[in-house]
Amino acid sequence: MTTPVQGQTPVSTPPVTHGVGNPAGTPVVAPTRSKTQDGAGGSLGTFGVKSGLAQMLKGGVIMDVVNAEQARIAEEAGACAVMALERVPADIRATGGVARMSDPHMIKEIVDAVTIPVMAKVRIGHFVEAQILQAIGIDYIDESEVLTPADDEHHINKHAFKVPFVCGARNLGEALRRISEGAAFIRTKGEAGTGNVVEAVRHQRAVMSEIRKASVMSEEELYAYAKDIQAPFHLLKETARLKRLPVVNFAAGGIATPADAALMMQLGCDGVFVGSGIFKSGDPAKRARAIVQSVTHYNNAKLLAEISEDLGPAMVGLNIDKNLQGGHLADRGW
Amino acid sequence: MIREEGRGQATSLIPASEAARTSGYPGIEAKMQPSSPTPDIVTIGILALQGAFAEHQVMLQKASLKRRVVIVLVRQQEDLDKCDALIIPGGESTTIALLARLAGLLEPIREFLKTKPVWGTCAGAILLSRSVEGAKKGGQELLGGISITIERNGFGSQVESFEAPLEVESLREANRPFHGIFIRAPVVIGLNPSPTDPPIQIISRISASLLPTSQTAVPLDEDDTDPRDSRTIVALRQGLHLLTTFHPELTKDDRFHEYFVRECVLPTLSSRSSSPA
Repeated sequence: MTTPVQGQTPVSTPPVTHGVGNPAGTPVVAPTRSKTQDGAGGSLGTFGVKSGLAQMLKGGVIMDVVNAEQARIAEEAGACAVMALERVPADIRATGGVARMSDPHMIKEIVDAVTIPVMAKVRIGHFVEAQILQAIGIDYIDESEVLTPADDEHHINKHAFKVPFVCGARNLGEALRRISEGAAFIRTKGEAGTGNVVEAVRHQRAVMSEIRKASVMSEEELYAYAKDIQAPFHLLKETARLKRLPVVNFAAGGIATPADAALMMQLGCDGVFVGSGIFKSGDPAKRARAIVQSVTHYNNAKLLAEISEDLGPAMVGLNIDKNLQGGHLADRGW
Repeated sequence: MIREEGRGQATSLIPASEAARTSGYPGIEAKMQPSSPTPDIVTIGILALQGAFAEHQVMLQKASLKRRVVIVLVRQQEDLDKCDALIIPGGESTTIALLARLAGLLEPIREFLKTKPVWGTCAGAILLSRSVEGAKKGGQELLGGISITIERNGFGSQVESFEAPLEVESLREANRPFHGIFIRAPVVIGLNPSPTDPPIQIISRISASLLPTSQTAVPLDEDDTDPRDSRTIVALRQGLHLLTTFHPELTKDDRFHEYFVRECVLPTLSSRSSSPA
């Protein structure tokens, strides 16, 4: 694979002191692994600024939008970023066919319409789609199972890009494989376009449970566990020490209500993606704002009750079974 | 109106007994004064609506400070009322402003700014500015407090985000550069203090070679009394308030947090406790 950026080297993970031991009351934050540089020059596209942008998105809601008008509604409702795509996952599910990267012209219209970061999706393994998005100056790329995979064996080598990547993960092993490929940001892989949060909950609980297990393991056990979950040992060790993923971790897939969003936050997510849940609902602007507030005040049930009032109908939900239209997207990714 | 940091500061809170230990810090040893009685505990709020507030919390807990610091995550007015100082973190300025309005915090923070120190990093710096370029369509709400004009995403999109070493002479161990992390960072495009405003002190600048080419092509402001371009300013102070366009909370270096507490927060506590006496 060609390397589109000069001077990029794979980022090693130096020892991290943040959050070690997690004394009571200390929040555990994903550390910034910035590249220390001597001399006067600045350095672009380091892992520090890639994971740093994800840290700035924490406590926020990233919303799927298909045009500039929706992007403006999302910005006004307090989205901390928007995901530009041609069809929301519910429509991808309904219409079927191959789902690809969106038209760069449409993405540029969305970039021009808003001041918040704009993300866009590429197919798993499709590094040329990623090169195109980097060339038009997109802020974050989602290498996403919602689009039809372009490579059934490899993911993109994300270290080779200046633009940062977010990737989905169902469990700790998958999350750490993505981070080792250069992902600076992880999200759950809840079934997109279903309005059903059960899979996102399953993934978040799986990741947290595996981290808790790893955190009490001896070094010998960690070697064996790394083999077992197919994760790079050094990232597993770092995760065990931090007692959290070493990058920011959002919930995604099936979030349709403020209560869904607060549930994912209480399960330990740093923020949420909302796909079809906003613009497939009765009153997108109002629901979007309510979900934004619910992510900030996720621990305040009284406020959540006020926020959840009179939002109009939520998106129609789908049951996740073997007859699910459009299939199980979470199974994509290797 | 503009003077460089490190000259002519009014007071220092370093007790005389610590003079020997601190004498290595440039700009401090000349300003020693007898210490006045100060409260032992300082309460610092971190606006926790959206963004990297937990990083500031971790940093304040780790920082070596001269006072015991109690940290309050501010989400409602009753949280703010407990605070001696406030940090507004990085995040998305439009999101933080909206959540502040919905939580009824905009006016209380504007009142807070009149008497108590506030530090804004990145999005927080935008919110502390009196006017903004590159606001979202229809404009966006600011808190004000520092009389500058700032441009959002002044360097461009995320692919232009960068890291660079900064020289900051008022930090302790000033000969060690501070690692600046600039993420979709804002750019200071004008200093416009009115005659009644406190003077603006420039704390740090980046090398002009790091400015985006589209920015350096713009000629300097005619009325800018500083010989250099305001766009290279990345940290400044006005009155009680501190503004940084980069993210000290993303490093492992606590010197800016220590600086904020030492230079901005503790002086206000001592003046409050000593003035009735």
